[in-house]
Order: sequence, then C-alpha cells, then structure tokens
Amino acid sequence: MSMKNWRVGLTIILILGSLFALWDTFRLWSMDDTAKAKMATDEPGELLALQQKAIRLGLDLQGGIHVVLRVKLEEIDDAQRDDAVDRAMQIIRNRVDGLGVAEPTIVKQGRERIIVDLPGYTDAERAEELIGQTALLQFKLMETPDNASVLLQRLDSAISALEISKLSDEERARLEAGEEAVTEEVDLAADLLGDTVSDTAALFAFEENTSTAETEFPLTSRLEWALYSSRTNTNWPAFAVSKNDKEKVDQWLNDPSVASLIPIDVEFAWSTRIETRNSKQVYMLYMLKRKVQFLGKFLENIALATDNMGAHVVNFQLSGQGAARFSQLTGANIDKPLAIVLDNRVESAPIINSKIRQRGQITMGSSASFEDARNMEIVLKAGALPAPVEIIEKNVVGASLGADSIKKGFYSSLLGLVLVLLFIAIYYRLSGIIADIGLLFNIFFLLAVLDALGATLTMPGIAGIILTIGMSVDSNILIFERIREELRTGKTVRASIDAGYDRAFVAIFDSHVTTLITAGALFLLGSGPIKGFAVTLFWGIVISLYTAFVITKQVFDIRKGYRTLSI
Amino acid sequence: MFRIIGDTNIDFIGARKIAFVISLALIAIGVFAFVMIASGKGNLGIDFAGGNLVYGYFDQPVQIDALRSALSSDFPDAKITELKSFEKENAFIIKIKRPESEAQGKERAAQLRNDIAAAFTDNPFTVESEHIIGPAVGETLRKDAQWAVLLSLCGIIVYIWIRFDFRSGVAATIATFHDVLAVLGLTYLLGVEFDLLLVTALLTLAGYSLTDTVVVYDRIRENLKHFRTKGQFAAAVNASINEVLSRTINTSLTTLLVVGTLFFFGGEVLRTFALALILGIIVGTYSSVFVASPIVVEWEARHPRRFKN
Repeated sequence: MSMKNWRVGLTIILILGSLFALWDTFRLWSMDDTAKAKMATDEPGELLALQQKAIRLGLDLQGGIHVVLRVKLEEIDDAQRDDAVDRAMQIIRNRVDGLGVAEPTIVKQGRERIIVDLPGYTDAERAEELIGQTALLQFKLMETPDNASVLLQRLDSAISALEISKLSDEERARLEAGEEAVTEEVDLAADLLGDTVSDTAALFAFEENTSTAETEFPLTSRLEWALYSSRTNTNWPAFAVSKNDKEKVDQWLNDPSVASLIPIDVEFAWSTRIETRNSKQVYMLYMLKRKVQFLGKFLENIALATDNMGAHVVNFQLSGQGAARFSQLTGANIDKPLAIVLDNRVESAPIINSKIRQRGQITMGSSASFEDARNMEIVLKAGALPAPVEIIEKNVVGASLGADSIKKGFYSSLLGLVLVLLFIAIYYRLSGIIADIGLLFNIFFLLAVLDALGATLTMPGIAGIILTIGMSVDSNILIFERIREELRTGKTVRASIDAGYDRAFVAIFDSHVTTLITAGALFLLGSGPIKGFAVTLFWGIVISLYTAFVITKQVFDIRKGYRTLSI
Repeated sequence: MFRIIGDTNIDFIGARKIAFVISLALIAIGVFAFVMIASGKGNLGIDFAGGNLVYGYFDQPVQIDALRSALSSDFPDAKITELKSFEKENAFIIKIKRPESEAQGKERAAQLRNDIAAAFTDNPFTVESEHIIGPAVGETLRKDAQWAVLLSLCGIIVYIWIRFDFRSGVAATIATFHDVLAVLGLTYLLGVEFDLLLVTALLTLAGYSLTDTVVVYDRIRENLKHFRTKGQFAAAVNASINEVLSRTINTSLTTLLVVGTLFFFGGEVLRTFALALILGIIVGTYSSVFVASPIVVEWEARHPRRFKN
C-alpha cells in the first residue's frame, strides 16, 4: 500500500511540476500575433522574460541566422594566437549585443571556430557585416558639459514635437468623421510645445519621473546622469539609460528631424555592456566628439596587473609615432575623459590623470572585478591585434519558412498522435484508452522536461517527439500482448497482469536502452538540430518507461481485482 | 478481443534460404551505395559536400524548366525542386554543391541571385532562406557523423553482448548492419541525398530494428527453457517469432502511422527523414524475423551447443 502511495504521490508532484514549468510556454503560445505585438510595445521587458522562460524554438522554427566563423590563425603571429579566438568572440559579443536579439549564443567550437546563433533575427546582410568585420578601436574625447546640456534641451523639444505629431497622425486617421477632437489635440500640442521650450529647469530631473516629465522631456527624463558623475566626480555627458528605454532612445536619435539638430562634430555612442544600477539594468549613453583622436593599433604590450593599492589595472606601451601623438593628446586634455571606443561602442571613458608618453595605465574603479579588467584587456588587444575572421557557414532561415515548418510539424504530429490514439483505443478497448491517457501524459511530461532544461525545440526535435510516441506505444503493445497471451492460457486476471508486466519489462528495458545509446551518440555528434532530436528522443524514452511502469501500471493494479479484463 | 492476426504457426525459419538471397541483394546494394558515398561519388547533401541552398519564391508563376535553363550556363549541376505546399506560391529550392573554397561559396550565392534576376526581369525572386556551407564545415560534419555512427553501433553491440550470449550478439549486429545498409542502398537508388538528417534517420532505425530483434531474442531465451533438447532449437525459435508476431505487426503499424503522417504532412525538410524511417521500419521488421533469428538457427545447426537441464 505504501508503495502505491509513493507512486501516486510522485506522479502528482511531477504533474504539478510540469504545469509549473509549462505555464510560461502556455501563456506565450496562446497569445496571437496582435497580442504579442501589443506586449512588445507596452512591456518589451516582460515579453523578453516570457520568451526566455518558454520552450525555446530553434532557428529552423522561428527563423534566424546561424553563422560559423573561422579565426584566421595563420594570419596572426605565433605569440598572439593564444587568445585570438577569445578576442574575436569578445568583439562579436560586443556587436551582437546591439542587435536586440532575445537569446543570442556565441560559442567556441574546437580550436579556431566560433558559432553565432541569432534566433529571430533575419537581416542577414547586417548581421554578416557586424560579425565579419575586423575590429576598430578608437579613442575619442567627450563633448563638454555646457554644450551637452544645450544640445539635450534642443533634442528634448524636437522629440517632444515628434511624439505629438505621431499622436495626432493616429488621431487624424481614426477620427476622420468626428472633427471636434482634432482641435483639442492641436491645443494640447501647442501647450506642450510652449512649456517645453520655456521650462528648462527640469533638465536632468531623472527622479521626477512623472508622466508630464516624460512628455515634456522625453529624452532627458530617461537619462540618469548620476552614475558617471559619481564615479568620476565630474559632470561630463555620460548617462545611464534603462535597458528597456534603449530602443526608444535609439529611434529618436536616428529620426531625421532629431538627428539634424546634432552638430556634425558630435555623436552619441552606447556602452559595450549592460551594467546593473540600483537593481536596474542600464546602458551608458556617451556624448562624444566625433573626431578620432587616436587609434588602437598603436598600443603595444597590453597586460593585466594590480597596482600597489590592490586595484586591477591594465598596462600598455606606446612607441614611435604613436607615443608622440598620445603624449600630445593626453598632455592637452588632463582631467578630461578619454573614451575608448570599440566599433562605435564605448568600453569605458577613464579620466586622463597625467601626460602619457610611453607607458600608460588604466586603473579600473574600485568596484571593478577581475572580469571587468580582463574585458578591458581583451578590448584593447582586439583593437591592437585584430583577429581576422572568415565566415565558413551561414544559414539564414526566413521567419515565414520557420512558421511554415512549425505549422506542418505541429499538425502532422497531432494527426499522427490522433491516429495512434484511435488505433490503440479500438484495438485494446478500455486498456487501450488507459494506455492513451498514459501516452498523453508522456507528451506532457516531455514538453515540461524540455522547458525545464532550457532545451531548444527544432524540426528534428518534433520528429523526436513523434518517434517517442511510437516507442511509448510499443511498450504498451508489448505489455498488452503479453497479458492477452497469459489470459488465453486460462490464467486469472490478476496473474495475467502480473505476468504481463513482469515478462514484458525485460524486453522493453533492453529495447529502450539500445535507443538511449543511439540518442547519446547523436547528442555527441553535436550539430544544433540533430542535438535537438537526440535530447527529445532521450527524454522521451526515459519518460515512456515511467508512464508505462508507474502510471498505467497503477491503473492496472486496481484492475487486478476485476473478473474480466477489457483488453 | 479484437485481433488482426490470431495464433499463427508460420514456418519463418523454413523460408530462411529465400530470405538470405533477398538480404544479400539488399546488402550488396547498400555496400555499393556506401562505397559510392565514401568515395565522394554519391549524392552527398550540401551539409557534407559543402554548397549553397536557396529557398525562395517568385511573384508570378515560373516554369521549373525556365528556371533550370536560366541557371544552366553557370550552374549546370544545380538541383531545383518546386515547393508545392509552402504558404508562398511559386516557391523553389535551389541547391548547388561543392564549392572549392569558402570565398567561392559566397560568390556563387551572389551569382545565383544575379542570374535569376537577369532571366526574370519583371518577376522578382525573394530569397526566404539561404544556407551556405564551406568545404571545411562539410569536412567536419562528415567526420562527426562517422564518429556518431561508429560510437552508437559499438555501444549497441556491447550492450547486446552483455545482455545476451555471444551468438545472439553477433546475429543482432549483423541484422542491424543489414538494416542500415539496406535502407542506405534503397534511399541511394531512390536518389535521396545523403545528409545529416539521413544519418540521423539511419541511426534511429538501427535502434528501432534492434528493438525488434531484442524482443524476439527475449522470447527465444524464455522459450528455450521449454525446448531444451537440441533437435528442437529451430522449433523454439520459430515458435518465438510466431508468438511475438502480433506485437511486431502492431508496433510496426503504429510507428508507420506516425512516420507516415510525417512523410505526407511534415513538410519538405523532414520528408526524406520520414522516408528513411518508413523503409527502416519495414526492413527492420523483416530482418528481426528473417535475418536475426535464422542466423542463430544456422549457427546452432552447424555447431550445436549443449543446453543446461
């Protein structure tokens, strides 16, 4: 009896666990396209989290880009080969980060290859350009605080006007019949514009994050000035921007009406990485002078070290032409920040402490970890010693092909499943229906396991699920045929069920293990879609053993007391 | 009780001579296909050979022959398939194989688009998906696939040898190789490309066919307890096959149901995969009855073992 309770208990726990694991997937998959689009504009962070928690779809199902790169080690000096692949990966990570892909993966394969997967991203040309280019490391000065605040004011008014014009566009389209609202709208626009132009006191008023501030100062209300200023004790224009606002800010800055206001010698640049600030994820937005002051290729002997205070530092050396230029640059700009810009993204903007001639040192802040210092080292090295790459495989799957595949995969599995369920139910009657329920549990658990493991569902993975249906049916057929045989020899229901399960177990176990071995070998073979197949097959088999010998067996144990058996 | 077949007593073992002839023919085709593929003459898919795959559609209907002739001068060996069930109409898959270098793969992709644009000036071709595989990646995939096949076959053989006696292990191994070679040969004859998905299918069916064999052997092992005297060995094997026959057929049927829906409705990507599995299920069922068990019988007839009382 306690044995039975244990089985029921475990099954209930598994069902609850599976429901929990699949909840996010269910929420995401039950949303239609308009609901998704609405969420993408209203709560992009929420949607991203949901996508990350739901079962991940492979490139072949949701569209996306898969690129395999080779670092051309033969073009690099022996001494610098060691971390060439790491340097290249750092550069790529840096660039991919700007694409807004939900789950990019960048992994090293073997000695000289890098695999980049960008699910959901289908602009092949842009991706190729970003990934395949050689790194460019530049040093730039920042715009002065005074000029910066004047420019920000102007941008704020322009963006505010831009937003209002968008709003009235929509209104106009919607209200072509009823006119009265339009005039109100114009009045409102005038009010807002007037206010924005006259009132500049609230500049940098990040704390005052009310809806009025957002309408009147759409840009500056999203910029937090305190992070960089507290770190450097200066007021140079570098602002923290919440991760969720980045897209929006980018859109504004690239809009022609706004971009035309930015002086030709000024540019905005994002930081290379996300930072966590007051438990919020932020990017830094830097306002730079466009002129390139110095190039990374002049740097030599870049190395990590610790100074006598115990802080991480990155040392570098300069020689010849580079040394002369760098000492001139640093000498003229002491106490000003010098932005280290990799591929138009700012890695860091340390303050110049003194004139640097031949040996320089970048001291990482007190809060910087070894990782941060190591990243800085890699970035400097990447600029100094670029690691050339070539694309050796490229797979671009269009979103509609992915959608087509998932539709076909889904409907064909569903059809196959229904046919099998019918066959089993007709052939084995009540016992068949019990097996069918077990089969449904099987699929339910399998999806939950895939979800919990963070596995990726691919088209071959769907085939794996279908094969699992076949395997799990086989277990039931073996057991039922055996029970039938035993019944035919005249045994009682109880004895037949016992014998059926006992004797079928060996055959089922052996056959499952051999398939497990195949799944294991396929997993080691390792290419994305095939791996997906191997993972689904593996778990499908394990779960099929469980449902056959725990769940359906439980029901049959109850049926042992019957005089006749519907089978 | 609803049964497709009742108690049978078919003399499967008696038919083993005919079965051996059929099997040898299947194996011969398989070995031929294997040699062709290994020597690079076979119909390798672009993942192994390297090459370009373009998946796209025209605005207006295009005859496949017109597309073929547009590409014939630059890409005489391009393989073009029209996609019938894709949501966009006038969709085609174009494959070109064996680029000589990484750079050539890219050049060809551009050239292919240019050729199409030049031939169909007022009927734009939209590329929906594109796959370019350089020769180096093809090489790696080929090696990985070889290892996966070797590893899984060795693993399975070791397991069978541990679970059963030496003879059954050898016979099961032969049957498994038989199935894999037979399907390889049949798909080769049908002009199916040898790609990663087909390798996956072959390995899966190796596991499947072994399942069938294991079920029969399991029954033989059980039945030998009743047929102890050596003269009745063949009878014991035959009885075992007959006893598990309904299971064999039911399982094959249900698995064929699911793989069949995959074949008909699963889309272009999985069609050859499903085809290989369908062939595999048929051959695997055949081999567990007509290959794996008769080998054990022949072996026993030539070198009888004593069975414990």
